[in-house]
Amino acid sequence: MSLAATLTDRQGRVDDLRRQRTRSPFLAVIVSVLAVGIAWAWLSAGPLFGRLSGERRWQNFTNFLHELVPSPVRKSGDWSEALPWAWGLLTDEGFVALMTTLGIATAAIILAAMIVLPILIFASRQLSRLSPFGLQSGEAGPIHSAFWRIVGPVIRFGFVLSRAIPEYLLAFLLLSLLGLQVWPLVLALAIHNTGILGRLWGEVVENADTAAAENAMASGSDRTSVYATRILPGVFNRFLIYLFYRWETCVKDATVLGMLGLLTLGKLIALSKGFFWDRMLFYILLGSAVILISDLFSTWLRRHLR
Amino acid sequence: MSAGMPTQPLCSIIGSVGIPADKLFRGTSASMNGSRYSGRKRWTVASLILVFLVCGWFLGLSPAGLIPPDASHWDRTLAFFSAALHPAFDYQDANVPDSADPIWLKGVKGLLATIRYALCAMSLAVPTALVLGFLGSSAWWPEPRSRLADVVLRAVYLCCRFVMSFARSIHELIWALLFLSAIGISPMAGIVALALPFSGTLGKVFSELIDEEGRDAAELFKAIGHRPVQTFLVGIFPLAFPNLVTYTFYRFECALRSSAVLGFVGIETIGLYIQLSHEEFYYREVWTYLYLLLALIVVVDLVGARIRERLHHPTLTWQS
Repeated sequence: MSLAATLTDRQGRVDDLRRQRTRSPFLAVIVSVLAVGIAWAWLSAGPLFGRLSGERRWQNFTNFLHELVPSPVRKSGDWSEALPWAWGLLTDEGFVALMTTLGIATAAIILAAMIVLPILIFASRQLSRLSPFGLQSGEAGPIHSAFWRIVGPVIRFGFVLSRAIPEYLLAFLLLSLLGLQVWPLVLALAIHNTGILGRLWGEVVENADTAAAENAMASGSDRTSVYATRILPGVFNRFLIYLFYRWETCVKDATVLGMLGLLTLGKLIALSKGFFWDRMLFYILLGSAVILISDLFSTWLRRHLR
Repeated sequence: MSAGMPTQPLCSIIGSVGIPADKLFRGTSASMNGSRYSGRKRWTVASLILVFLVCGWFLGLSPAGLIPPDASHWDRTLAFFSAALHPAFDYQDANVPDSADPIWLKGVKGLLATIRYALCAMSLAVPTALVLGFLGSSAWWPEPRSRLADVVLRAVYLCCRFVMSFARSIHELIWALLFLSAIGISPMAGIVALALPFSGTLGKVFSELIDEEGRDAAELFKAIGHRPVQTFLVGIFPLAFPNLVTYTFYRFECALRSSAVLGFVGIETIGLYIQLSHEEFYYREVWTYLYLLLALIVVVDLVGARIRERLHHPTLTWQS
């Protein structure tokens, strides 16, 4: 066969494959909507840098940079004074704020876990039906069958709703209803993360190996015991891994929730804003350090659990 | 894809948000089902509960705090939740001039502004994250390489990892505060504030997804003489691509939420309207905006689920 013929053959084959590729009108629509959306977003954003003149903005910016230098250093020009200054801030309020931030995040994520864990029986696509794995379980009257038809979708939609509201907004609303205390922040984080854990853990359960569960079901166990003894042990580490991933995010969110007025790092940041830029930067970097550390910790833990 | 590989490493957990878990679970369930951990599991659960109690004690949480503290807060709570049933179709504020937009139009405009910030930020964050994610992954490193190349590659790798970690270790609201302070109120401040932490997160997850993709195809391309970067572009990146897309879309949903919250630091998104109406106790207006925001996020969430289905299981859907 000549070289030319081989090439045509190959081209033909490539064309063939191209024709056979799976196409999705749905994806095509989404991609074009997004492309048009991005173009619209940039074109309609108005003057991107606000109405200040470039010169003025530059001046503001350099002033701001100057203010970021710790105040004792700014006066004396001696950077050795920065360390006692930072230590003072840390022991004054920083440390307490730090612990509160961590406490809120931890309490919230464990609370969310405690809510999701039992609910998952009713949210799982396999278990939450009249006949899990095709095996009849419990009574099959009209009420029961209606119940099992409805409960799964309802809870899963509840998860969607609870993760749809940003935690900051939730905390803002709850604070005005429950007064200035820690619960609103914990609740806000817990509600948002209930939705997220519900989906993540739900996916894990859906994709778990169900042979053991099916056996138990076939020999007459009910949903709860199948879930607790045949499914949970297998997915336990996965659950923990997700829990720590969300915990890390919670720490970050708890930091800013303080901007609503409770003593976490966010409050200190919000209070220093405008007057003590140097302190603000210190608190921001403190929060950032905590998150970097918790990030490392949860990375280490994930590797360990795997 | 390389479904036949017996010891495929697990996908990154962070990356797995929005990624079908069958990818995660390839050939691992057996190793995790053993009873080896049973004692440890009990301890883990017990200690988690203990940690919760300790945190609760430290923060001074008591069940009494779960209900409104006094009569005025009770009134407010009742008013707030009864307003949920009657969202406002007209302004509660009598001082709004007749010429102003009707409230639903104002809400929709607020939503559009929210979407606009999210889109602008994501369109900056995704390319940045692709570059950072590429440099922060080891999948494209040439296999026998000189000592110098090794040192340089590792340095670049660590630098990129650090930049990404740092960018996402600061919350977008705080980035926004910083930028607003530095360059004044402007759309760009909000966009960059969102884009920075998002490119950090996206980049990190991109690099992990790429690193944990199977190397079968890559080995083949290498064996027939492709160069490392070519191998990466042809043999690894396309495999990771569906995961990158689903994760990106999930982050877009997060960007919408964050962009709404940017309203609280003064950038004009729907969060600002919610805050202003709430401060005046116009709870019915608050609910109008809340419902609009909820509807947007839920729709995007459902579209995201659909995209995930299409990209990962083109023919298979769960029958329920």
